[in-house]
Amino acid sequence: MNVARLALRTLRREWHLVELRTLAASLVLAVVALGVVATLSTRIERGILASAAELIGGDVGVSAPAPLPDAMVASARADGLAQTRGAQFRSVAFVGERSQLLDVLATDNAYPLRGTLEVAGADGRGRVAHGPPRGQVFLDHRAMVGLGIRPGQRVQIGGQDLVAAAELVRQPDGGELFALAPRALMNLDDANAAGLLGVGSRARHRLLVSGPPSAVATWRSRIEDNPLPAGADLITPEKMQERMRNAFDRASAFLRLTALLSALLSGVAIALASARYARRKAGEVALLRALGTPRRKIASLLVMTLAALALPAALLGVVIALGLTEGAWYFARQLFDNIPTTLPFAPAFAAAAMGLAVLAGFALPPLVRLAEVPPVAVFRESMQRRLRRFDALYLVPIATAIGLLWLQSDSAKLAGILAASLGGVAAVAALLAALLLVVARRVAPGAHPALRLGLAALARRRGLSLVQATALSLGLCALLLLAVIAPSLLEGWRRELPADTPNWFALNLQEDQRDAFAQQLQRIGASKTNMMPLAVGKLAAVNGTPVDKLPFLEGDDARNAADQQLRLSWAADLPPANEIVEGQWAGASPRQAEVSVDTSWRDRFHLKLGDTLRFEVGEGALDAKVTSVRKVDWTSFRVNFFLMVDPAHAGDIPHTWLTSFYLPRGHGDQLSKLSRDYGNLSLIDVDALLDRVREIVDRVGGAVRWVLGFSLLAGALVLTAALAASAQERRKEAALLRTLGATRTQLRAAAACEFALLGLVAGLTAALGAAGAGFWLGKAVFRLEAFVPPLWPLVGAAALAGFVVMLIGLFGTRRVLRTSPMALLREG
Amino acid sequence: MADVSKSVFGPEGQLDILSGVNLAVAAGESFAIVGASGSGKTTLLGLLAGLDVPTTGSIRIDGQPLEGMDEEARAAVRRRLVGFVFQSFHLLPALTAEENVMLPLELEGDDNARDKSHAALEAVGLAARRRHYPAQLSGGEQQRVALARAFVHRPRILFADEPTGNLDQHTGEHVGDLLFEMNRQHHTTLILVTHDPRLAARCARQAELREGRLGVPA
Repeated sequence: MNVARLALRTLRREWHLVELRTLAASLVLAVVALGVVATLSTRIERGILASAAELIGGDVGVSAPAPLPDAMVASARADGLAQTRGAQFRSVAFVGERSQLLDVLATDNAYPLRGTLEVAGADGRGRVAHGPPRGQVFLDHRAMVGLGIRPGQRVQIGGQDLVAAAELVRQPDGGELFALAPRALMNLDDANAAGLLGVGSRARHRLLVSGPPSAVATWRSRIEDNPLPAGADLITPEKMQERMRNAFDRASAFLRLTALLSALLSGVAIALASARYARRKAGEVALLRALGTPRRKIASLLVMTLAALALPAALLGVVIALGLTEGAWYFARQLFDNIPTTLPFAPAFAAAAMGLAVLAGFALPPLVRLAEVPPVAVFRESMQRRLRRFDALYLVPIATAIGLLWLQSDSAKLAGILAASLGGVAAVAALLAALLLVVARRVAPGAHPALRLGLAALARRRGLSLVQATALSLGLCALLLLAVIAPSLLEGWRRELPADTPNWFALNLQEDQRDAFAQQLQRIGASKTNMMPLAVGKLAAVNGTPVDKLPFLEGDDARNAADQQLRLSWAADLPPANEIVEGQWAGASPRQAEVSVDTSWRDRFHLKLGDTLRFEVGEGALDAKVTSVRKVDWTSFRVNFFLMVDPAHAGDIPHTWLTSFYLPRGHGDQLSKLSRDYGNLSLIDVDALLDRVREIVDRVGGAVRWVLGFSLLAGALVLTAALAASAQERRKEAALLRTLGATRTQLRAAAACEFALLGLVAGLTAALGAAGAGFWLGKAVFRLEAFVPPLWPLVGAAALAGFVVMLIGLFGTRRVLRTSPMALLREG
Repeated sequence: MADVSKSVFGPEGQLDILSGVNLAVAAGESFAIVGASGSGKTTLLGLLAGLDVPTTGSIRIDGQPLEGMDEEARAAVRRRLVGFVFQSFHLLPALTAEENVMLPLELEGDDNARDKSHAALEAVGLAARRRHYPAQLSGGEQQRVALARAFVHRPRILFADEPTGNLDQHTGEHVGDLLFEMNRQHHTTLILVTHDPRLAARCARQAELREGRLGVPA
């Protein structure tokens, strides 16, 4: 017997069977859902890296306290990469009597390799530029104001007489959002000639490279594989754009959640359809066994039939997924400034492999078991099913589901919560259904005839009823999670960034400017103003031990910690987006100075409550006891601090003020005036960043709705498969009942009762499960503290789902009711 | 078959279907088992064909003892020595008439399966319909295809379970004629289970199964 040929032929002949079509459709859906999300995620990841590369001015780089070895540069050249060298340091600029401390970046003319350097000349017109030629320097607006000059005037840096040729408007980052000193960009040779980079300087040297991705990856892995020079760090795009990354991480969690649920729904549909297919095939298998076909051959025939169905279906899924992703990217790419990225093929094929694993995990157990049908069953249909009460094979789908959750979620929490919730739903549904069956037996004799028939039908097919109720509950729970919970989680996320989220920051405000500035802000229509004091200092000692002598800090770490400038602030109340995880927030007037530290500081300096920190601020020092540890949400668009001291002891520390406020767009003139009136002030616009994150939320919302479409289809498949599971038995019963004189109306009413009860159990369990899982997911995965699953929409959706189950069930019995009893009996 | 009994366990405890059955059928002989519904005829046939194992007793097919063989070994014996005809035909719906007939040959790895299948179908008068699927054939035609399948690999023993039970009288007679004619041509041992006294009467020997024991028909 040519097994492969027989398998193909079997498939060709049986393709019309609902269960095989359900299997194929479920697999296609699983692959499409997983494939679209995986491909899109990979592409977005590439997009993030590409746009982050624009921010650092190259694809990857190295920074070190000493000039980088020539061998490193040579190897980049050998790999065909473009390079730019530079150095960052602090220096003071002089114009006549005026001086200004600057954050200086000295570069060659190749800078930047990625992204745009934008400057404005004396005429105020912006232009794209590269690193300044020798003899020139670009200064930012703060530096120009601080030195009292305009583009074209001369300035002295490190003893070199340079022309401040243009004002820096925008440059690939390399610095931080709240840079303390104004910025300058000068020529690397000038910096060398001035001796600014010589021995003893605190300059940080850097090398950035760019080129084709594969060459960059080669160079990067070579650099990573060898020990870096002392104190050197890799500059990578991954380290950049933390806020964007956080937004995308959440987005990807949403998408993965929807894709996962679609795949699991498909799995349930596959399990139901293959169980039904196995029942149908039992007679054939018994014949083959009677004719002497070895079990192994029968098993391979069944597996090959499945493979012949699955491989083209998986391939179709891949093609559809790639097509849809290409379409989706057309809309998503604006998020990444239209940086070209290639369509990755690997994730879609990985999704196909995963889809096949789902199919194998859910479909193979009943089919493999089928090979064990005893040959004597060829005489007796009743012997075709000798099901064991417990079978290790039934663990395969469960293991597959858990494996899928684990692989796909990228988050143990998401996987765990979903697995626990769905497991709970399955258990509760089975329990409720079993209870319903017990009640059905008791109540049926005295009930209304239609209800009695319906209850009797449920009780007669005890095992099937349990399977149906459980599968329907799982399906509906997944659907409710997607249709009700996911949108409301998204809404919760959106609410985190309301329209009046502060979009401007002002730094460097002096104590005597504070009131006037606040009034002026109010006049121009700013709201949500939040002023915080800001002191800049250094950490000198922990429990009396100087920072550079702390036993757990070595070499450069110790030197960096001792040199690092830190920002201190204070407030009477715990600021929003901060949560106390240890200790208590400082009282109104504690006897000794108290400090609250962020968790990352606690970990870096091995701090515990009661430790004493000595800060040096200006000329003075402050000893403060650690009385609380805070978890800070750095993704919130608020002013946050690692260190906060109590207000009673902080009043005397020299400080400036910083403020955040919301100002609607279209106030450019007033802001320019404000900037002129307060020349020392730095105004930072985070509207662009806010817009980005809002855009991500919106687009994710769109994508989730889109993937939800697949899930709804998968849910419909589960419903069809679950209700079709009992179709054959139902047909026989209906034929018999009609032969005995039951009217169509009676049968219809009985079916309605039966399905309504099934729908009720499924809807109720699903609503409970979705609410529980939603609450848990909102808190643990999406970090939406105040998230409460919407109760009434859930109840409404569950009731509707129950009703739909009844309608679909009734629709399925339509044919049975229309056909003559004789024809039905002949069908068997 | 020596001192064979078969019991099953049901809701009301042990149920003895066959007890102390002794039977020997010589090569080339035709033997009919008759009996009322539920008398255990089909169980006996299943045991004789090696489709099931007895609770006690021993069974030999063509001199080979079946006890001690596992299901796979019994399958190999069936493949080589046994042919079947069933009441409900049991043709594979996915295969054409010709492919259904080829099945036992292909199981044995016969390279000449198609030609032999063609010849077998010709012998039952269905060569012209060899490309038809079971659903496209009448009941009588399906049973004729089943006969062709049963004889095509020249089995030593043919087991027939109510071969005319699902057919009208006329078609049943025609299929019966064909069965005995082919049996004669191939010198096959025929063991037949039937309700039909006329069909049973065509066998060389008959026995009646009553309350799980074999006896001479009344």
